[in-house]
Amino acid sequence: MTVEIKWLRLLRAAVLVSGFVSGAAAQTLKLPPHEKIVLKNGLTLLLMEKHGVPMVSLAGIVKAGSVADPMGEEGLAAVTASLLRKGTAKRSSQKFSEDLDFTGGSFACDAGVDFTSLSAEFLSKDLDRGLDLFSDALLHPSFPQAEVDKMLAQDIDGIKAAKDEAQSVALNYYYGYLFGKHPYGRSEGGDELSLARIKRDAIARFYQANYTPGNTILAVAGDFDAAEMRTKIEQAFGGWEGKASSLAAISAPAPVKGKRLLLIDKPDSTQTFFGFGNIGTAVDDPDRVAIRVVNTIFGGRFTSELNEALRVESGLTYGAESFFDSRKVPGAFAIYSYTKNESTAPAIDLALQVLEKLHTDGVTPQQLASAKAYLKGQFPPEIETSGQLARRIASNEFYGLGDDEINQLEARIDAVTPAIAKQTIEKHFPEENLVFMLIGKASEIGPVVQKYATQHDTRKITEPGFWPPPAK
Amino acid sequence: MNKTRLLLRGVLLQLALGAIAVAAGAQTEKQQFPVASKTLKNGMKVVVQTDHSIPNVALYIFYRIGSRNERPGTTGISHFFEHMMFNGAKKYGPGDLDKAMEGNGAANNAYTARNTTVYQDWFPRSALNLIFDVEADRIQYLSFDPKKIASEREVVASERRTSVDANNAGILDEQLWATAYIAHPYQWPVVGWMSDIEHWSLEDLKHHFEMGYAPNNATMVVVGDVSPEEIFQLCEKYIEPIPQHAPPPPVTTVEPEQLGERRLVVHKEAQLPLLMIGYHVPQTNNPDFYALNILRTLLVRGESSRMYRRLVDQDQIALEVDALQEPDLDPTLAVFYAQPKQGVDPQKCEAAIYDELDKLKKTPVSDVELEKAKNIRLVEFYQQMRTINGRANTIGTYEIFFGDYHKVFDAAKNYAAVTKQDVQRVAQKYFAANNRTVATLLPEAGQEGAAKQ
Repeated sequence: MTVEIKWLRLLRAAVLVSGFVSGAAAQTLKLPPHEKIVLKNGLTLLLMEKHGVPMVSLAGIVKAGSVADPMGEEGLAAVTASLLRKGTAKRSSQKFSEDLDFTGGSFACDAGVDFTSLSAEFLSKDLDRGLDLFSDALLHPSFPQAEVDKMLAQDIDGIKAAKDEAQSVALNYYYGYLFGKHPYGRSEGGDELSLARIKRDAIARFYQANYTPGNTILAVAGDFDAAEMRTKIEQAFGGWEGKASSLAAISAPAPVKGKRLLLIDKPDSTQTFFGFGNIGTAVDDPDRVAIRVVNTIFGGRFTSELNEALRVESGLTYGAESFFDSRKVPGAFAIYSYTKNESTAPAIDLALQVLEKLHTDGVTPQQLASAKAYLKGQFPPEIETSGQLARRIASNEFYGLGDDEINQLEARIDAVTPAIAKQTIEKHFPEENLVFMLIGKASEIGPVVQKYATQHDTRKITEPGFWPPPAK
Repeated sequence: MNKTRLLLRGVLLQLALGAIAVAAGAQTEKQQFPVASKTLKNGMKVVVQTDHSIPNVALYIFYRIGSRNERPGTTGISHFFEHMMFNGAKKYGPGDLDKAMEGNGAANNAYTARNTTVYQDWFPRSALNLIFDVEADRIQYLSFDPKKIASEREVVASERRTSVDANNAGILDEQLWATAYIAHPYQWPVVGWMSDIEHWSLEDLKHHFEMGYAPNNATMVVVGDVSPEEIFQLCEKYIEPIPQHAPPPPVTTVEPEQLGERRLVVHKEAQLPLLMIGYHVPQTNNPDFYALNILRTLLVRGESSRMYRRLVDQDQIALEVDALQEPDLDPTLAVFYAQPKQGVDPQKCEAAIYDELDKLKKTPVSDVELEKAKNIRLVEFYQQMRTINGRANTIGTYEIFFGDYHKVFDAAKNYAAVTKQDVQRVAQKYFAANNRTVATLLPEAGQEGAAKQ
């Protein structure tokens, strides 16, 4: 690594919950105009013209993520998404890549927890070929057996490679330990054992059941004429058939009671990576803006209480933060940091003190004003490009959030009063009930971290699976 | 260039520290991105590009000082100094800078590399005066509080543990450069050796500040919701009064020609091995830069690329293959990287990489393949130039490494001019066995047995 930087955010909620609007004085940032059309086959189409850069961005959402994985076959949604481009009715995997790469464009598919996302970008001049590639992968994947075998073998090794770098699997363990058997506890990409159980038939069935026009949102943003684009989309996707599966409702996970701690042993570790917290909030939580404001003060920026205490004032770590990974039903809240083996307990103690102080002292009016300015000032670059906009309007559509999520955000941020901040802390930031996850050198740190919990669990990082331990 | 790490499934090692922003472009770039510049009386060059599409501004200051300007004993001090630039000056004391900026809607960061230290400010235009006040304060009046130095030393040690100790690619990359270079300062890591992090002194820091933080050793790039006139006025008020002084002494050490292959092994607890191969190539402003970029593009960019197809798709011996050449003022390395599958001997990946390089040496690429590589570069160019942050970084990178930001507008022409004979010629010239260093990380089972297969 040749570049070293002052500050890097290590963990970031997979889905951006809400946007924040710019604008000190006169100007209020608004979403550019866009339209929603439901095609006859049920596909939801969102179109937004954005000129200036000669590119077109596509963001697709299929309403099935890792929550739709069958028990024991975790990773099925992810593998299905990865295989969309690995062979179609008219293209081999190699031909697809050749056609794609010749445009210089990009195409990526990834299963998240709540949904599967597809994203692609092409130069405007290559729009027709880009749409052909995108629809070919989405509508006509053939899942060749050889590609299935190759993908599964690579993904299994990919999990092992990730475990060689503690940070990259920290959330897998934390979510597994926090959510337990709730679908949000699953590793989105599966694990070494679950991937080995996945067969081609299961992939084809998952595709048939979930990849239907009625289950799909397609957002297109960029340099095009909306009327022409609509015609092109109808040509490319209008013939797509299939019945929308009924989405199984997910129950809200119950917050964890008491204190428990999972220690993942990585014997060569010189540093302990730790996270703790409890169940957080849903994307559409009515308090979501206030939560964002308070979390900015607590652990959401460089001058946050957590980073000030653990990094700036004590030098215990390179970074400390807190985040809400908000989802369709309540996701996770976590405080996250890392420190050298010897200072594991002092760092966790300090993080707990900062959390306690949030409850006893609350936030000051100055902190509130500062966080509001920060959120408003930093938002515009989040919706600067056509790709960002396409992804944003697609996920807002999925979560049932209207344009006001962005257009009214400045007003909503401004409306957070000290009294609201106080209620938000009491309601949404855990105090007594906490789930801890640590990755580190167990022989050194094991004894000193006992005190944080009454229930203790441990595993070696090299053991297959995350948590709970996979059934044999 | 911002290194944000997302925790995704099966995350593989991320080596892509933002390859240099270059690509073929359309003819309209100059109209699309009109740029104004001015050199202040104290020697600082200021480059401004107006864009009103969002009410925000990206302001980057590129100092021409990095690990290349260090010496044994104080390696990593440029990077440590970068941290100190956030820890208090005259008007804005310790912690005040970040608090003032964030409280006015601004965010900041910085990065240190081998040749540069770059300070980045992202803010709503309402914070414009504050940003200039802060930047002028710390360029001129940085304070050196021993207590802050002590705690920041620990922060940097933690950064090193995370980016090197807990990152196999980080360890191997460090060893690779330390082996490929025997004379030139590129041999030590930007973050510095741990023993140097623990030992540099207050005097070392002061010396570094005096050496590198002169206005005449910096370029400021401002992109966004501003006009050149207002930026030049702010510069006259805040920056121009700062006196100039002598820039860092030139780096005169030239890495001698490598006379034979070098090999190194790292034994570490791990489940999977790793492989890196570095070849000496010229500095960024060398005319072969464009042909080398095209060569790397057709070898590793996209799933139709030669090495992906060979190692990942056909032979199925690797999970990932990549190549990287970062911007550098002095002759640098083009590094190939492979993540072998578990149980695969890294030498198999090594042999496949050499075989693909040999094919390029023997047979010219097809017209279609060459055009594909140029198309990939073109799209990359638009992707970098479409945000105010990306444009600020690109303009500054060209100014520093090509000596003139106008070269941004020549990129299209320079890429278009690359022929298949050029690709063949650079393959033959640089990718020879005597010119390479091969680094391998071999998994070692822990005391209790790591890899259960």
